[in-house]
Formats: sequence, C-alpha cells, structure tokens
Amino acid sequence: MASAHAAISGPLILGDKSPGQVTDDICSVLERGPAPSWWVAITVSSSMLLLGLITVGYQVLTGIGTWGLNNTVGWAFDITNFVFWIGIGHAGTLISAVLFLFRQKWRTSVNRAAEAMTIIAVMCAGIFPLIHMGRPWLAHWMAPYPNTRGPLWINFRSPLVWDFFAISTYFTISAMFWYLGMIPDLATLRDRLTGGWRKKAASFLSLGWNGSFRTWFHYETVYLLLAGLATPLVLSVHTIVSWDFATSVIPGWHTTILPPYFVAGAIFSGMSMVLTLMLIARKTMGLEDYLTKQHVGAMCKLLIATGGMVAMAYLTEFVAAMYSNNEYEQFAFINRAKGPLCWSYWIMVSCNVLTPQILWFKWARSNMAVVFVVSILINIGMWFERFVIIVTSLHRDYLPSSWTGYVPTSIEIATLVGSFGLFLTLFLLFCRFIPVIAIAEVKGVLSHGRKSHE
Amino acid sequence: MVDNERAYWKSLAQRDDGTIPLPVVGSEPHDVSSPGARGVTRRDFLAAAGFTFGSVALTGCNRAPIEKAIPYLVQPEAIIPGRATFYASTCGACSAGCGLLVKNRDGRAIKLEGNPDHPHSLGGLCAIGQASVLGPYDSKRLQAPLLKNVSAKWDAVDGEIVARLEAIRRDGGTVRVLSGPVTSPTTRRMIDSFLGTFADARHVTYEALSTSAIYRAHERTHGARLLPRYAFDKADVIVAFDADFLGTWISPVVFAAGWSAGRDADAMRFSHHVQFEGRMSITGAKADQRIRIAPGELGLVMSHLASMLAHRAGRSFDSGSLATCPIDVHVLEGLADRLWHARGKSLVVCGSQDTDEQVLCNFINHLLGSYGATIDIQHAARRSDDDDAVQGLLQEMDSGTVDALFVHGVNPVYDLPNGADFAQALAKVETVVSFADHADETSRLARYNCPDHHYLESWGDADAGDGTISFRQPTMRPMFDTRSALESLSIWSGKKLSARAIVQETWKGRVSWDAAIHDGLATVRSEPISVSAFRSESVKAVRAAQPIPDGKLALALYPKASMLDGRSASNPWLQEMPDPISKVVWDNYACLSEPAATQLGMATGDIVRIDAGASKSIELPVLVQPGQHDQVIAIALGYGRAESARFADVGPEWLERKPVLGDNGLVGTSAAPLLTYRDDTLRLSGAIVSVTRTGRTHDLACTQDYHNIEVPEHLTVPGMNRRRPLIREVSIASYKKDGTLGHDAHGGHHDLGELWADDHKYEGHHWGMAIDLTACTGCSACVVACQVENNVPVVGRDEVRRKRIMHWMRIDRYYCDNNGDVDVAHQPMMCHHCDHAPCETVCPVLATVHSDEGLNQQTYNRCVGTRYCANNCPYKVRRFNWFEYAREDTLANMMLNPDVTVRSRGVMEKCSFCVQRIEQARVQAKQEGRPIADGDVVPACQQSCPARAIVFGDTNDPESAVSKMIARGRHYRLLEETNVRPSVGYLGLVRNREDDKDQTHHG
Repeated sequence: MASAHAAISGPLILGDKSPGQVTDDICSVLERGPAPSWWVAITVSSSMLLLGLITVGYQVLTGIGTWGLNNTVGWAFDITNFVFWIGIGHAGTLISAVLFLFRQKWRTSVNRAAEAMTIIAVMCAGIFPLIHMGRPWLAHWMAPYPNTRGPLWINFRSPLVWDFFAISTYFTISAMFWYLGMIPDLATLRDRLTGGWRKKAASFLSLGWNGSFRTWFHYETVYLLLAGLATPLVLSVHTIVSWDFATSVIPGWHTTILPPYFVAGAIFSGMSMVLTLMLIARKTMGLEDYLTKQHVGAMCKLLIATGGMVAMAYLTEFVAAMYSNNEYEQFAFINRAKGPLCWSYWIMVSCNVLTPQILWFKWARSNMAVVFVVSILINIGMWFERFVIIVTSLHRDYLPSSWTGYVPTSIEIATLVGSFGLFLTLFLLFCRFIPVIAIAEVKGVLSHGRKSHE
Repeated sequence: MVDNERAYWKSLAQRDDGTIPLPVVGSEPHDVSSPGARGVTRRDFLAAAGFTFGSVALTGCNRAPIEKAIPYLVQPEAIIPGRATFYASTCGACSAGCGLLVKNRDGRAIKLEGNPDHPHSLGGLCAIGQASVLGPYDSKRLQAPLLKNVSAKWDAVDGEIVARLEAIRRDGGTVRVLSGPVTSPTTRRMIDSFLGTFADARHVTYEALSTSAIYRAHERTHGARLLPRYAFDKADVIVAFDADFLGTWISPVVFAAGWSAGRDADAMRFSHHVQFEGRMSITGAKADQRIRIAPGELGLVMSHLASMLAHRAGRSFDSGSLATCPIDVHVLEGLADRLWHARGKSLVVCGSQDTDEQVLCNFINHLLGSYGATIDIQHAARRSDDDDAVQGLLQEMDSGTVDALFVHGVNPVYDLPNGADFAQALAKVETVVSFADHADETSRLARYNCPDHHYLESWGDADAGDGTISFRQPTMRPMFDTRSALESLSIWSGKKLSARAIVQETWKGRVSWDAAIHDGLATVRSEPISVSAFRSESVKAVRAAQPIPDGKLALALYPKASMLDGRSASNPWLQEMPDPISKVVWDNYACLSEPAATQLGMATGDIVRIDAGASKSIELPVLVQPGQHDQVIAIALGYGRAESARFADVGPEWLERKPVLGDNGLVGTSAAPLLTYRDDTLRLSGAIVSVTRTGRTHDLACTQDYHNIEVPEHLTVPGMNRRRPLIREVSIASYKKDGTLGHDAHGGHHDLGELWADDHKYEGHHWGMAIDLTACTGCSACVVACQVENNVPVVGRDEVRRKRIMHWMRIDRYYCDNNGDVDVAHQPMMCHHCDHAPCETVCPVLATVHSDEGLNQQTYNRCVGTRYCANNCPYKVRRFNWFEYAREDTLANMMLNPDVTVRSRGVMEKCSFCVQRIEQARVQAKQEGRPIADGDVVPACQQSCPARAIVFGDTNDPESAVSKMIARGRHYRLLEETNVRPSVGYLGLVRNREDDKDQTHHG
C-alpha cells in the first residue's frame, strides 16, 4: 500500500531515513532542552491562561452579568467557544480512527499531535458549559447520580444532558486512544532516557511494553477495536451538540440539517486547526521530513471537501427557509445576511466558503505560507459560524419587542483569550514531553529499505 | 426490666471475683458486656466510636446561627401568623383618592390592592398607587423632626413653634399654609381652625399639574368653582383635547374604568374616541382617531368645532374672524356631525391650562347637552386651588410680610418655574414649617421639619364630591418618629388630640364609624352644588393659533404615568417602570417627531439644549417619538428631583458598570423652569423654544430596541407581509359583521397534530388567562403590581440598558404605520404557561416543570442557570438573575412578600401566575369545604388593572369568566402555529373605525 502510494505521490517520509534515525529525530526534540522560542511561546500562552483564570474567577464571584448577555441573548461567546473547541476536537478522532480504518498511511505523521489537540480542545470546550452556568458550583447536578434530593434525577429529554454524555464519552475514548497509541513510543522513551522522573514516568506509563510479537499483536488488535469504537463518535458528538439547537423552537436553530452541517463543520475546523499547528511544528521543531508537503496537500484536499459541505449547508439552510414559506424562518436567515450582525455572517462566508477555494490550485497547496493563512482564516470563520448560528438566531426571534443586540464585554473576550491560553499551554507542554509524531507508526510507512526489497 | 435483674454483691471479694450472675440482655451471648471484667469489645468500640464521630459530625453540620423565633406572648386578636389581613383604606399617592385594600402581614403593609367596593375606582389601582407601599420603608425618609436640619425631639420643635405662633398671634402677624389640593374634609377643617386663631391667615393651594383652568372656566360658565365628574362610560363619542385621561389626567384609574366599560365590542356598545394632541400619550394611543395639533392650535380648533356645533344647534357663536382651521375642515365637520348625532351621549374633555379654552370646552359640552348626562357638576368636588394664589404668596413672602409659612404636600422650590425665587423668598420668612416626609428641595430650606406620617400610617379621609367619603386608617405602626400633620396642627392650635379623634370628630353623627373604617368608605348625604344656567356671554372664541417661528418648536411639558410631578421620585419601582409609550426608564428626554429630528439633524440620544429665552434653558437627550406633531417638543416633568441622588448605588457593582445617574448627579433633569405663567394659570405648554445640539450623547435605557410591528423591509422576502401577526386588530364594523378577527393566514384554530400521545390530561383545574387588547391602555399598573407581589428586584439603569430588566410582566408596545399616521398597540406579556412548554424539555436539571393544573413552575433552588429555557422561549418572558440584585434600601426588605421566594444570583425566574395566590385560594376553599370558585384566584396584575383587561381563571370550567372570554370570536393565541399551546390568550384589538381595511390581512 504504502509503496504503491509512494510510487504515485512520492515517499511519505522524506530523507530516506532508517528507523533509528526516525527515533533519534523525534526523540531529540524532547531530549535537548527547550528552545528559546518555546520559552517565549509558553510565556505568552501561560499569560493568556492566567488572564483567563483571573477573568473566570471574577465572573464566578460576580455573576454571569459580567458577560454581554441579556434577556434575549442567553448564550453568545460561551457556547460559541464551546462549539468551536468541540469542533476543533474532531480532527483528532477523524485522523486517528477514521483514516486508520481507511488505511490512509499518511495519517501516521499527524495523528499523535492531532489526538493531543483533540483532547486539549475538548478540555477547553468542557470549561464553557461549566462556567456559563449561573451557579457553576452546582454543575454536578447535571450528572445522574443517586442523591438525597428525592432522589431528583436529571431531565433525559434535555439536549444539554445528551451533551454531557456525548462529550464525556468522547473525551474518555479519545484519551484512551491517544494513550494506547502512545505506549510503544513511551517504551522507546523509557529505553532512551537515562534517569530522572521522566524515565520513571515513561516506565510506569509504558505498562511494561517489551516489543514482543505478542505485545504488538495485542496492541494492534486493541487499536483497531478502539478505532472502530471511536469512529461513530466522530459523527455522534457534533450531531448531539447540534441538537442543542436543532431541538429548539427558535428560527435559525430549529432545522434538521444541523447534524450533518455541524459534523462537516467540525471536521473542517478541526483539520484547519491541525494544519495551523502542524505548520508551526514542522517549522519550529525541524520536522519537515515527517510532515511533508504531501501531508499538507492531503489535508488541504480534506479542507476543500469539508468546506464544500459547509458551503452546501449554508445554501441549503437558506433555500429551505425560503421554501418553508414560514416568515420567522425566512426572516431569521435574511437577518443573518442583512441584519445588524451581518458582518459576522459575511466574515463566516468569506472565511469558510471563499477562502478554501484557493486550495484547488496546487501552487497554493504547496505554498506553506498560503496554507497557513488559509488555515487561520478558516479557524476564524468557523468561530464566527458558531457565533452566527447562536447569536443572530437568538437576538431577533418571534416577538420584535424582544429583539436586542449583543456586544461582548472585556470579560468575555478575556475568557476566550484564556481558553486559547489553556490550549496553547497544554499543547506546548505536550510538545516538550511526548513525541509529537508516533515513532512506531511512522516507521511502518518508511520507504527506507523497501526499494531494495521490491 | 433490667433493674429487676440487677445483681447485688455481698462482699467486696465477691464483687472482684467476678462470680456475680450478670443480667442477660438480648439472646446472644456476645451482647453481654462488662466493662470492668472483660474490657471493651471490638463491637462496642466501633459502636461508641461511630456514635461519637457521628454526633461530632452532626454537630459540625449545624453552621446556622441559633435564632430564636419569639411567638406572640399574647396573640393579638384576628392575627394569625402566616395569614394576611386586609384593611380598607384610601390611596394617598395622588389627589385622586382611589379605594385600597392594604394587605398586612405580621404588622406590615406589604401590598396594596384596589378596593373593589369603591364606587369610583372599582378595584383598580394605578402604578403609582401600587408602588406607594414602598413609602413607609424608605430609609431616606425624615425619621424624626428636624430643627434647622438637625434631628430634634418633638417637644423641642413644638415648643419653639408654639412660642413663635404665640408671638404672631399677639402681634397680629401673617400666617400662610401652602398645600396641594386638599380633598380631605378633616385636613381642611384642621387647617381652617388652625388658621382661624390668627388675625391674618390664609390657606394657599396649588397643584403643579394644574387643573385650575377647569375650575375657573366653570366659575365663569356655571358660577361655581369645581372639578366636574366625567362619566366616560356613558359617552358614545369621546373627544379629548390634550387630556391624557387614561394616563395622568385628574383620575386616570376612574376614567380608564369608565372608558373601558363603554367599549365592549362583544356587547356591541363601543364608544368613538377622538384625541387631539401634540405629543403621543397613552390616551392618544388608544384613540380611534388621533389628530395631531400643536398646543397653540388647541383653542383655534376648539373654536372651529364650537362654531360648527353652534351652527347645528342654531346658537350664535361669533366665528367671524377665525383664522383658518389648522386641520382638515372636513375631518372636523365629520367630528361635529358625529358629536351632534350623539348629543346627550357625548363627552368633550380638555386638558389645557388656558381658561378661555376650558370655557370653549364647556360651551361645546353645553351645546351637546353633556351637562347632566356625561358630566356631573352638581355632585362634583369643589376646588379652591389656584395657581395665581401661590404667586401672590411669593410676592408677599418677598416683601417680608409673611411671618410663618406652613408647607404641606407641595414642593414649590422644585415644581414652580420660579422655584429659585421661591427659595430666596423663603429665607425672608422667619418661621417656615414643612410637613414633607423627605428632605426635598423645599423642606431643606425650612426651619422646622415636622414630617407627616406616610399615608399608610395615618388616619384620614377624602371627599369625592358626590357623597362618597373614603376613609384612611393606619395599617401599620409608624416606622419612624413622625407625626400626623393633623396632630401637629392640633397641638399648635392649643389642643392636643389624636389623629383618630380628629377624623372621628369630622364625621360624628354623619357616618357609622366602625362600618366606614371597615369598608374604607361611607356615603353621606351631600347637597347638590347650586350652579347657574350656562352663561353664554363668557364664551370667547380663540381666533388665532399661537405662531411658531421658523426653526423653533412649541414646548409641551407632560406628566409621565410613572412620575407625575415628581413626588414619587424616590421610588425605585417607578423610576424603573418603562414609560408606556417610549419604554424608557430612569430618565426624561426631549421627544421630537421624526421629521423634526431629521430637520434638526438629531437622533435619539443626542443631548440638546432647550432654550426658552430669559436664560431659561435645560439640557436633555433627544428621543425620536413616532406620532408626535412636527412642531412640538415634549418633555416629561418630575425628573431631576434632589431625592433621586440616592440611586447612585442601585444596580450591581462591576467592572464595566455605567453610572445610574446623569451628569447632574440626579435621575433626569427638571423641566420645571420651562413651565410658564400666563393669565394667572400655570401652564405645561405654551413656551416657544429653540433647540440646539450640544454634541454630547446620552445612552437612554429603553426596554425595547425595536418598536415596529412590521419587520424591516430589507429583511423580508419581497411580496411577503412585513407585519408580524402578533397584534391582531379589526375595525368594529368588520367585527360586528362576522364576529371574528377576519380571515387571516394565522387565524382560526390550527390542528397541528401531535407527535406524542396526549397523555397529560388536566382533570382538575387548568389555569389560564385572557387579556383584552381593546381594553388594555398600557398604563403599567399591572407591571408594578406584579413587581410588588413577587419581590421582583430593581436592577438599575445600566442593567436595563443591557436589556436585563427583571419585570415578570412587561407591556410590549408596537407602532404601526396607518396611512402616514401612527397606530400604537400595547400587549401585556408574561409567561404563557404553555402546555407544550419549550422551556421545560430543555432544562437539564428539571428546574422547570409542568403542574397538573397547567402551570409552568420554576424551581429556583434546583436551577443551575444554563439559560437554555430562556433561549428556547418564543415569548422571551424568562428573566435571569445576572447578578445578586440586592435591594438598594435594605429597609425595604421588610415589605417583601413572605409567600414568594427571593431569588439569588444565577437562577432563572418568571411569572408564576401568582401561584401563591392560587394556593391560598385552595386552602381557603378547602377550609370552607367547597371547590375553588371562579374569581377566588385573582393574580396581582388582574387585581390592579383599572380597565379590567386581564381575566384569570380555570379554563376547564366552561362557566368561568376566562372560558367565556376564550369563547369570544376575537380570542386568539400568540404564536399558535408553534404548537406550544399557551395558556394565555388575547382578545383582538378593536378600534372604532368605519373603514374596513382589513388590518390583520396577512400573507
């Protein structure tokens, strides 16, 4: 397979590396001390995180009123950020599970980082449903557990409860998948390290991996099973998140297209975030041989595909609203495009529909600067997509008497910055302490030694 | 039992030997334990340890401070803790004197209800009346008498005052009492007897919202100075010239009840109401025909109308040199025809402060035969207040001839246009005594402050003029060391009597005291006022309109439905009550019409300087008001009161908070300097002003952002109707024809089908509500009533600006273009208690659930605050506690309704259909061994509504009032097509219009 693939589009890993070289290349990033650029990055990201922590603390102590919400717009930045981060979290599972099942060998270079990104993004996402509550200290009431209040059970009809299960399941499976895939590499680290706490940790976490045939056999089987288990989650999580909106009665939310629309959007945004991070990593960590232009090109093609689906969804939504002959429905969509918050709609359309079109051209796909800018724009566009769905639907619904606007406060903006701070800080720590590329898997797609064999 | 088996040892040896037979407890041997001989067993240890740790843990749980509830040692008769008692009384918030039932819990007045037995107010109560219950609990009240603004003892103050009065009596000095209109015979008697002890004494009365032109006009036309009684219910045609009789004019509660009684579309009796006005009032909003005229054109238009009617009546009226009519003559001729056809059943009222115009109004009424039919002047209130008397007093004071001045119930330094002069003149009066309950602009300058009780703490009475006497009794102990003005006057007159004795003395032998106090009213025989025949010679035509020079505007000052002349400016509920028309809170502003604003290059929020010449100018933000006359600038009175400075701290404290008060440190700006005196009357309109931009802006806090019933044109599919089918209206002609709201794409009852089995049967009661949009005037009495009943917090200007008002009940106001003119519709909006409530399914923690009686219940302590329910509410009636909305004045916590939970930060709340009242009615019915009857449950909004627009009841009972409302042809439910099945319905808005242009045409 790999060889056939290589014959068509060139080798997946450049430099004709031997397995030993691969191990050295990837582990050396961890073994040499952090570069000055890493220190700069972590200083910035942890400052952002600190700002976020302070504002969240302030908001919890003072009240949700410190956000720009009002009686009509009950969700805005909070749930936008939540859906945005959950969407980011989709790339990981897709790359690790779906592409694995489809035998897409190029995934091996990206899956570790993508999975890490997924887990971190889901952690970022999970914060928002928590802090958006009026009384976050009672968040445990969302869980069905035996209690002394009756026992008072939760409302299984509420999409928020479905969310709770969907996200916790997704997080658990993703974390397991990530960890399982990491065991051989942890064993590698254990064997290379000479001492210190990192060796101890690697020894413990590698669960006595000995590289025997049996170990590998078990590992591959479990990995395959988990991949099968995780695949439906790619569809289910964002489907369920979309039900938060689709099951409501609010024009603009109440549409059956939302589940596929959300899933496509999630993959779209996740891929673009993977690209963003990957492009930074290959540059700063010298991994150009592992994260090749071919990888980037494959990802770009996925962006075109999912971007097309998203554009299709935007169009379908509009057409369905016009076709419905329901004045509230029609208004909701015209209001998105031409109402007071239309700027957010047009940011969304230009970033998500127009921008990816440049990737049809090969020169664009192979120009890393162009791809980087495109990926950043898509990230922005996808954030605004959620903002458009949530805020522009809410701010003008049935009764014109209740129409309002929405302006975020400094607290909300700082909270968003803080969530990026958390994301980047955790990702930077991941880059420092865990092999960013799955060493064991990459070795399986090396072209080294194959040519002579063939 | 065990005692019987106790073993006695015979010697110490035997004891220590351990051979005594031990008692057997239980059947198992290991239950036997002997601490001495066998040591502690493992089980005992565990049991003891468990008990010890358990008790330590349990003790540790009790963190609450120990509080002692002290029961009544001797329980007062008829007071049962937890049960409310109601006392009849009379509202003292304005001079209208509506009947009250004061709800009293544990010795505190906590809610006011209209007294349904009162023959005039009929159980209605306005927003100001509702809010006045906060008065006694106002910590900024004067809590004790002040001597030169320093707290003093009553004895000391009395001693000084009595000594000074003695000196005045001895020297034959001058004493003046300055008060508002006195409707209380007892107060009048006491003032007269007090003044009777002086050689030169006079009682001067005036009212800032002057109606003295009406008395003067009747003096000229009928020879008696009086305020007539108007019967709006008897009129088939009502014409109002600048009289906001549904909102603020004289006695709006009484008038709204009458007006609404005369407009029952289903009984096929529907009056025609024409309003002439320059600004947009709530009365104009309800009118069938609204004609915009500038205030200066009023007399001319009335002269034309009088001339037309005189012509029809064959009476002479000198209309020779009348200027051209400023409005379409055909319209006026049509109106004259209509009035003439309905003569004897028509009513013309005029709110002008110009005596000549009022005389014209009397003349028109005289021609139409309204006197004796719709206007009663023989059983009317005699009035003595006169605007020129206060100016006379000012001159007297200025010349230093007044020795003592007693000020009661008025605030001349604030509400006279020359208040500053009054303040200067006050300094020349040696003895100034104020009865004011607050340190207001005038009382601050008084040497003696002798604060009167709040009216809920006092005895009193009010004479309606037709023999109905309303009584006032104290419904709570005075909160502070205040004293009834009646008692003060009696002490200074030399005989110390209690207020009760003083009031009783007035009515001795005329009423049955106990019954009168119990009912809050009594009927006495009253001699009809003798009036002369109409004196036609007094009628003078107003021949020309007041010219408005180019670039200038005619000023129309007006009282707001919440603030009137500013006497309630220290009441946060009223400050936060959205104006029924503009929906703005916590501010006054300069209303300009759209063309005027465009011409002047101004937009809502621009601060402008309004200059009336003679260095009289004020600065206010602009509000663009649809429906206003293009040459009129309208400004509300009653703002910029000194007492409003207290609201600096209202609302939550946080990073991005904006100040509650304006740049002047007060709420709004006083427009009193722009009042004018002309021909001895104090006038709200008449000034010609120029308006200039200051370049600064001010963000008005408005509860509604979008005001039109039609959605913006550029946001609709071309060809689709822009009007949302929320307010459904129909002309009376069309309604009479088919008894429905017309054929409407959204009309009729939808059979939407069900996704699930209809397994929620409401077998007992099913509570529902119907609101008649035809009757609703938007007066907002229900809004404040709901706020008081349900402990709804005040959130402050900044929070309202952020659209976070907490009112459970709001009144949506929509404008609609009507052939170039503006129609206004009001729609009371609260939780619809949907049977398929979208809020209920989405709550993750079951904090909002449905009762088996159709109530949508919010469980505050279960709510975690996801706000999903509010997002999913199509009516947007849910309210979130964004902050801990503490009460600005903690003393006001004393009047919280103990039956309603006070909500904390982070939880959702909303209308509960006054569930506490339902439960009370249930208990009551159960005790009486009967089912809950129709009318047993009256929610606070319904109770207060002067126009009887709201009906609540059991929709399962086909005989209930609400079921009958629902059965009417003009009943509809809002957003029925969403199939949320609301329990609240509306009766369509009917206007008395001939042209049957289908106003509800849709789609």
